[in-house]
Amino acid sequence: MNDQHDQNTVALAKQLGQISATRRQLLSSTVTATGAWSLGLSLTACGVFQRQAVDGAGNWKADAWLEIQPDNTILFTLDRVEMGQGTYTGLTTLLAEELGAEPEQIEVKFAPAAKEYRNPDYGMQLTGGSNSLSTSWWPLRHTGAAAREMLLAAAAEVFQVPSVYLRAESGHIVHPASGKKLSFGSLIRLAAKQDVPDEPSLTSADKFKYIGKPGKRLDSLQKVKGSAVYGIDSNVAGSRYAVVTRSPYIGASLKSSNADEIAQLDTVEQVVEIKTGVAIVATSYWAARQAQQKLETEWAREAEAPKNTQQVFELYKRRADEDEGDSIRSDGDLEKTIKNSNKVLEREYEAPFLAHATMEPMNCTAHVQKDRADIWTSTQAPDLAQVVVAKVTDLSLDEVFIHNQFIGGGFGRRLTQDFIGEAAEISYKTGLPIKLVWSREEDTQNDLYRPASYHRIRASFDSAGQLSGWDHQIVCPKIMDWYVWDAAPAMFPWAPKFMYKMLGHAGLMTEGTPMTPADRSPYEGAENLPYDIPAVEVRHTKADAGVPVTFWRSVGHSHNAFVTEGFIDELAHEAGQDTYAFRAGLLSNSPRLKRVLDLAAEKGAWGRTTEEGVFQGIAAHISFGTYVAQLVELKIEHGEIKVSKVVCAVDCGTVVNPDIVRMQMESGVIFGITAALYGEITIENGQIQQSNFHDYQLLRMNQCPVIETHIVDSDASPTGVGEPGLPPVAPAMASAVFAATGKRLRRLPLRLA
Amino acid sequence: MQIQLNGKTIELDIDPTMPLLWAIRDEIGLTGTKFGCGQGLCGACTVHLNGEAIRSCITPVASVEGQAITTIEGLADGDELHPLQKSWIEHNVPQCGYCQPGQLMSASALLAKNARPNDSDIDTAMAGNICRCGTYPRIKAAIKSAAGLNQAATDLAYEAKV
Repeated sequence: MNDQHDQNTVALAKQLGQISATRRQLLSSTVTATGAWSLGLSLTACGVFQRQAVDGAGNWKADAWLEIQPDNTILFTLDRVEMGQGTYTGLTTLLAEELGAEPEQIEVKFAPAAKEYRNPDYGMQLTGGSNSLSTSWWPLRHTGAAAREMLLAAAAEVFQVPSVYLRAESGHIVHPASGKKLSFGSLIRLAAKQDVPDEPSLTSADKFKYIGKPGKRLDSLQKVKGSAVYGIDSNVAGSRYAVVTRSPYIGASLKSSNADEIAQLDTVEQVVEIKTGVAIVATSYWAARQAQQKLETEWAREAEAPKNTQQVFELYKRRADEDEGDSIRSDGDLEKTIKNSNKVLEREYEAPFLAHATMEPMNCTAHVQKDRADIWTSTQAPDLAQVVVAKVTDLSLDEVFIHNQFIGGGFGRRLTQDFIGEAAEISYKTGLPIKLVWSREEDTQNDLYRPASYHRIRASFDSAGQLSGWDHQIVCPKIMDWYVWDAAPAMFPWAPKFMYKMLGHAGLMTEGTPMTPADRSPYEGAENLPYDIPAVEVRHTKADAGVPVTFWRSVGHSHNAFVTEGFIDELAHEAGQDTYAFRAGLLSNSPRLKRVLDLAAEKGAWGRTTEEGVFQGIAAHISFGTYVAQLVELKIEHGEIKVSKVVCAVDCGTVVNPDIVRMQMESGVIFGITAALYGEITIENGQIQQSNFHDYQLLRMNQCPVIETHIVDSDASPTGVGEPGLPPVAPAMASAVFAATGKRLRRLPLRLA
Repeated sequence: MQIQLNGKTIELDIDPTMPLLWAIRDEIGLTGTKFGCGQGLCGACTVHLNGEAIRSCITPVASVEGQAITTIEGLADGDELHPLQKSWIEHNVPQCGYCQPGQLMSASALLAKNARPNDSDIDTAMAGNICRCGTYPRIKAAIKSAAGLNQAATDLAYEAKV
């Protein structure tokens, strides 16, 4: 919570904005051509390193990520949030490896909102899409290597020996011949004056000390001591507690309330109306909650708002009939193939709305003043947080300072900043620093959900019994329709506020053009069907029932893998083939997927003689550049599905920390089983029916299977692991349920009766 | 009123109906104990009351007046971590980490009573603690190694790369 530092960083960002190459340029050029890469590199280096003399306090801020202090404190500004997925450890490891320090020596702090911390894949500062490692792989190693070479050059001057005789090790430059060493901190004044290397030499893979080794997580100690600070632990002097009563109906607005009466209560300081409802402000959370029970509200419901879940799916089916959808992929001549086929199978699949249920409920502490706002929270998108604060105050984006903390679960929920806007609006209207904490019930019922989806899918076999055609129509909303309104202003921070709506509309209008990337969320994981089929059509029919939606762990893959892999399982059965062998025989164009499929089958002993009542299922899926296959074993006990074992095989390219890869596979599997067994948000009388963990169940320890993870050794570019462990597990379970019962479950969650 | 918190006497002048959780977090300022559900359903708020694991989010502070409460901040013996905390680090248990104080308080209450729990004892003691990140297999392994039980490969396979 160092405001001065945040301000400096923002000022620095502005100063450098004109000349420094963005990480996107750097990264994209890295991937394509070495020549272009060194250009990008030298631009970054010019813009950052050469201007960074040691500052008044004697510290060397080498660039936006690395700062070294005279006492040898090495500070790393982490710009990809830590929400469990392991960036705190993984990205620090990249820097440590090249710099010549031990990962444990590096102090990590969370980045403020600033231009150079934008995610190059999105042009916004957000953490999602399992790309933290892939987008940091080159830039952070480059930062470490450049700083290391400058420190070596500085030490060469001191020791009066060529730098080739020196080594960077554990935060020191050592001269092995004489046994002399100097700490980085003692060298920074000299190092800052060195020429910035055009192409610092990166450590070759065979020399890695930390990358690829199963290092311990760097955030564990604070997390087991209870000293890790999450957004909800923020404690700002003088702050009051706020709770908000929101509409119980989707898409309703406040008609009337007894706010005046509540404001008279001794325990209440203020009651203010905000965009989303009525906020009660008190000196304790408990007092605010007690007063909230006495608040009476009336709501004006919108006629078009969805009344119940059935209505949503009726809309989807109607839309499927009237609009064949946008063609996303079209291989071969499907109609002709179907016409000439021997057999056609046609099915419908459905997936429900899902809540995120992060363990840390939504919360935000906001202090809005005349010339600045300070926000302490846990967010996946700090620059979108600036936008929502600017919208409800008189402030501009650069007057909003985000103090991000550890995140008690994200899974996409904290990509949307509604809770931050609420806290800022209450602080602005009351003039007080405000701590807003949502209850679990509020968190469940005011989520933005994983979109429900409806699928029509058919496939054909030719006269030789070969799979010849595939036609998949996906009906669901687009997340971008909900997300663009805060995202577009974050991408154009110079735009005045009156343009925000226009920017949003422009974003929607230009979606899929070079100006705005396409929203692939409805069809990702379906469009890249990996199997060898001559004619393939994938179509998306947009249908939005007005239920708020956003990204949810693995996004479109979370439902599309269930449909494509579930249907492949049906086709294997129809073809009279083993479901593993059927898949393996159709993967000549995706050797990496075939490899993980084979590995899961081998390690999980596919087809083994199982114990009485145990059945196997299998599925494989590519998401976020990572290949995962899972073999599931389950039993049906008292009419309920009990998963006993999951064998997971993963290929995520170069591995930075194998144990974090395993952790994320375990995490994705358990998240996926939870969704497959229990996950369902339903609507009745315009209201979300679920409220807390008794009716929105999460898997518990006694229901948790044994999980084995096998990692393919690879030197391909590293890809993410936070999400890819999830998509295959539901279809693998459905495959095993079919083996056990002969029942095809084509709707999530999987219900036997 | 008074409570004994991590071995210290604490004076509180608050609404006696306030749940212990909020007294600990907001009045006393120890934030290691977490709010998850407010209904005793998730275990994030678990603390020890006279050595027993309880859910502080549904325990009115008046009901524990004068009694001994231990929170995650009191689990270590000064600078010496509790064996479970060490084991948690060794097994790379925490992911987002939010539920882990509650998990550790439930696990430590279990081991205090049952030094050599079997799988079913662990499941029973830990079923009230939800972890959304899915760290259950590692929690189980960490409890077993802290208890000095041989960690069988069937529970958590750490196999070499292939």
